[in-house]
Amino acid sequence: MSPAFILTTCPFCGCGCGFYLVVVNGRAVSVAPCFSDRVSRGGLCIKGRRAHEFIHSKDRLRVPLIRRNGGFAEATWDEALDFVAGKLSAIRSVSPDAVGLLSSAKCTNEENYLMMKLARAVIGTNNVDHCARLCHASTVAGLAAAFGSGAMTNSIPEVAEADCILVTGSNTIEQHPLIGTRVLEAKERGATLIVVDPRETMLSDHADIFLRQRPGTDVAWLNAFMNVIIAEDLHDKTFIAERTEGFEEMAALAGRYPPGRAAEITGIPAGDLAAAARAYARAGSAMILYSMGITQHTSGTDNVKSVANLAMLTGNVGKACSGVNPLRGQNNVQGACDMGALPNVYSGYQRVADPAARAKFGRAWNAELPERPGLTLCEMMEAAAAGALRAMYIMGENPMVSDPDSNHVRRALGSLDLLVVQDIFMSETAALAHVVLPGVCYAEKDGTFTNTDRSVLPVRKALDAPGEARADWEIIRDLARRLGSGAFSYASPAAVMDEIAATTPSYGGISHARLEAGETPAWPCPDARSAGTQFLHKDRFARGRGLFHAVEYRPPAEETDAEYPLIMTTGRTMFHYHTGTMTRRIGLLNHEVPAGYVEIHPLDAGRLKIADGDTVDVASRRGEIAIAAQVTERVPEGTVFIPFHFAEAAANVLTNRALDPEAKIPGLKVCAVRVTGRNGR
Amino acid sequence: MIAKSGEPSSAPVGAVLVLGGGVAGIQAALDLAEAGQKVYLLESRASIGGTMASLDKTFPTNDCAMCILSPKLVQAGRHLNIELITYADLEKVEGEAGRFRVRIKRKPRYVDPAKCTGCGDCATVDVPDPAELVEHRGELWIRRLDIDEVKCTQCGDCVRACRKENPEAPAMGSVHHRQSEEAQPGRRTAGADLRDLRNMDGAGRLAYWRRHMSRCIKCYGCRDVCPVFVESECRMEEWARPGRLPPDAPLYHLARAYYIAARCTHCGYCEDVCPGDLPLRTLVDLVRHADPGDLFEFVPGLPAAAGRRMRRAFPLPKKAEGTA
Ligand code: SF4
Ligand code: SF4
Ligand code: SF4
Ligand code: SF4
Repeated sequence: MSPAFILTTCPFCGCGCGFYLVVVNGRAVSVAPCFSDRVSRGGLCIKGRRAHEFIHSKDRLRVPLIRRNGGFAEATWDEALDFVAGKLSAIRSVSPDAVGLLSSAKCTNEENYLMMKLARAVIGTNNVDHCARLCHASTVAGLAAAFGSGAMTNSIPEVAEADCILVTGSNTIEQHPLIGTRVLEAKERGATLIVVDPRETMLSDHADIFLRQRPGTDVAWLNAFMNVIIAEDLHDKTFIAERTEGFEEMAALAGRYPPGRAAEITGIPAGDLAAAARAYARAGSAMILYSMGITQHTSGTDNVKSVANLAMLTGNVGKACSGVNPLRGQNNVQGACDMGALPNVYSGYQRVADPAARAKFGRAWNAELPERPGLTLCEMMEAAAAGALRAMYIMGENPMVSDPDSNHVRRALGSLDLLVVQDIFMSETAALAHVVLPGVCYAEKDGTFTNTDRSVLPVRKALDAPGEARADWEIIRDLARRLGSGAFSYASPAAVMDEIAATTPSYGGISHARLEAGETPAWPCPDARSAGTQFLHKDRFARGRGLFHAVEYRPPAEETDAEYPLIMTTGRTMFHYHTGTMTRRIGLLNHEVPAGYVEIHPLDAGRLKIADGDTVDVASRRGEIAIAAQVTERVPEGTVFIPFHFAEAAANVLTNRALDPEAKIPGLKVCAVRVTGRNGR
Repeated sequence: MIAKSGEPSSAPVGAVLVLGGGVAGIQAALDLAEAGQKVYLLESRASIGGTMASLDKTFPTNDCAMCILSPKLVQAGRHLNIELITYADLEKVEGEAGRFRVRIKRKPRYVDPAKCTGCGDCATVDVPDPAELVEHRGELWIRRLDIDEVKCTQCGDCVRACRKENPEAPAMGSVHHRQSEEAQPGRRTAGADLRDLRNMDGAGRLAYWRRHMSRCIKCYGCRDVCPVFVESECRMEEWARPGRLPPDAPLYHLARAYYIAARCTHCGYCEDVCPGDLPLRTLVDLVRHADPGDLFEFVPGLPAAAGRRMRRAFPLPKKAEGTA
């Protein structure tokens, strides 16, 4: 009965903290710190500290379920998998592109790889996507255009040593706690902290310069920063000449955004703008951290390109403690993208449209591969609603709560012939499924996660699966075999990783044996001799030269009007994770934040006769929810904020489906709403 | 003095708890042990021997006290039927004669007695401002258990000495590992912080704590990893408004510090796991020897005045400025 300590990786956010799961008599009883872990250094946030609590929830899924006569009936694995395989092969024989697959940023790299292989090699469609579409699709598109690679350029430990940190659109302390504390550490060492965010956050309380822009006006202030830097001759001319192209056009455009004009658009005082721009440009090494506040806009890709412009303009790319650092939300969203769970690329961002890549994967998998890029997540929902998509296979995602415009998602999923959901809990999405397959959580399988700074981290099996639940990679493997594929004969996730290494240049040197030896290499790691790459674009950009983009400001897709006068933005809190399927089963987290709320400024609240704690109705052009009001000055006047964790007061009933034209990311951060109190009536 | 447990008193063999390890307790324990009883000899101080050990002669015979006592100490220490429980107190006695159940609370120690070889090297290191020096083998020694925690600067020298002498199984692992491993360049030691804090005026101390506590991310790690934390007792979550970040300072931290102070073993684990790098041990050290009034100009029992003072010291999040 002596406890076993199993070193594994946190299943919540993209920081990728390592910790020991303490197991006694087959039960996970607590989480113990690992002091030698590179990211956590022994510290964890409240979610990681409680990561053992949801594992043994009574309502974990234990047996496969098939919908019969309107209800769910328990089934054996053979029945369930035969049923799914039968339906899928019937639909496949008519049109493979009538099947859509959603992979999962919660699952391991190996499972994501198998999922995309299942889609492409077995079903024959490129319709595979995952929730990165909702967070960093614009990063992948924008940074790929500017630098040639869409990931965090530098590593987490470097944050603590930067001279200047510009944080925008990221509530870093709450969303990436262990990166947030490094920002504070840098501050203690004397770094300058600039925060640009409409909402006051814990981090903005520590900022040397805090700028509050109107939601959706980021391109304007970024252009104004560059205007000031060029006008005051603070740009790095050598870097621009030697490493970049397209500077002239960008400079001409930035010339049209003096701080005065940007101040009108963004609401940031011109003097503050200029001061922040100077502080950023003068620092020896300046790092930009950004997140959903930049990407989740209909102008998301433009925002990202502007951020990249700013870093290149000051030579802050390709050296330590600098760079452009998109903080990836989910524990393995970086890995799911790397593994090619995206409609247009294979693993390692090898393009589906490239015949050489297609031929290579075709040979490796012994299959004819489809060449047209597939549908994105939101497009799949549209296609399902329109009847073009007949079947969906969803692994470990909860689009009913996480995707924009929940009512539309419900209609879309309801019109499918086959909806298969593989999950650990009966999520809001699983409740709509025809077949529910019980997967396992991070503690019950082996594999790897890739965290936001591209490090490949081990996930180790500490417990047996509950009931008859099976590891997700086994489920996909068995389904693929039933669909007639001979290329799915893996004995373990380590074997899958070997195949990944063989087909994916950036993961070429990664193997489970190396992770077992205690290494956590960051890609690109081309071969077994390479120690991985701490920061990207060192002597040369991935695309050769860095490309400046001249980006004009476009107003957000949805503007306020007399009927919907307030801007709503959405986000998360420290105390829950995403759709809450795991964290809402953890006692202390529910004590901290038990239910959804809407933050509203006292002046708005006064006008609407709303007191703190009142239940109010929030309505947008798409839906309406009832929710408790929290009157606070953390949000600016005219803006309300709703965390999206809570299914019963789901912010995404209200949000907008309008997409960024390039990256197809929805503008989740901005939508027009009306708030009505119940007292005034 | 004597409590029995286990079998009813008529049975020939049982277990006896002897309270107090002075010469009377030792003699009682030896006699009972010889009579076939299993004896637990409980002593509140770090070692048995009591007052007699510090006497020179005994009345009325003028015999040498140690000559009488030392053989008994050795006997008691080696007797197979006697189990010594030192540095522990009796908390509760239940049941009746013949069937007692007792609850014993061990005080925290710095040394794992099972691993300690008794070499004594830990005590020879130079400890600044020691509480009490003892001459031994011609050297000045400090009794580790008597170190005044506030005076201890947590230099870690004793731990290093122990590791050197006993590298396979060091008996002292308890001093802050960051200092003992010298792993964190640039970080001040708790001892240095403590010295400075004592010299600060109220305003300076408040500024110090405000600066550090504003970095807390409310992970509850400091409480959860503490080896002396008993679940369900330390309710620090009730001292801060739920869902707020950073948690309300200083109540959140003080709730824990006062709860734990009397039993804190000084292991430093709370500070090690703190992602916000708060000087938590310094806080526990301080509250252990100072009341909130001194520390935070907080007047217990005067809620209104205290509230005003606290607000001045820890204002709520500042007013929104420059809104759109
Ligand atoms: S910071 Fe992120 S990875 Fe680390 S413990 Fe918290 S949720 Fe887990
Ligand atoms: S140095 Fe270690 S082994 Fe030696 S007496 Fe001290 S604690 Fe015991
Ligand atoms: S130093 Fe901290 S963790 Fe260790 S006993 Fe004291 S309060 Fe608990
Ligand atoms: S360990 Fe540090 S960050 Fe966590 S609750 Fe305690 S003081 Fe706050």
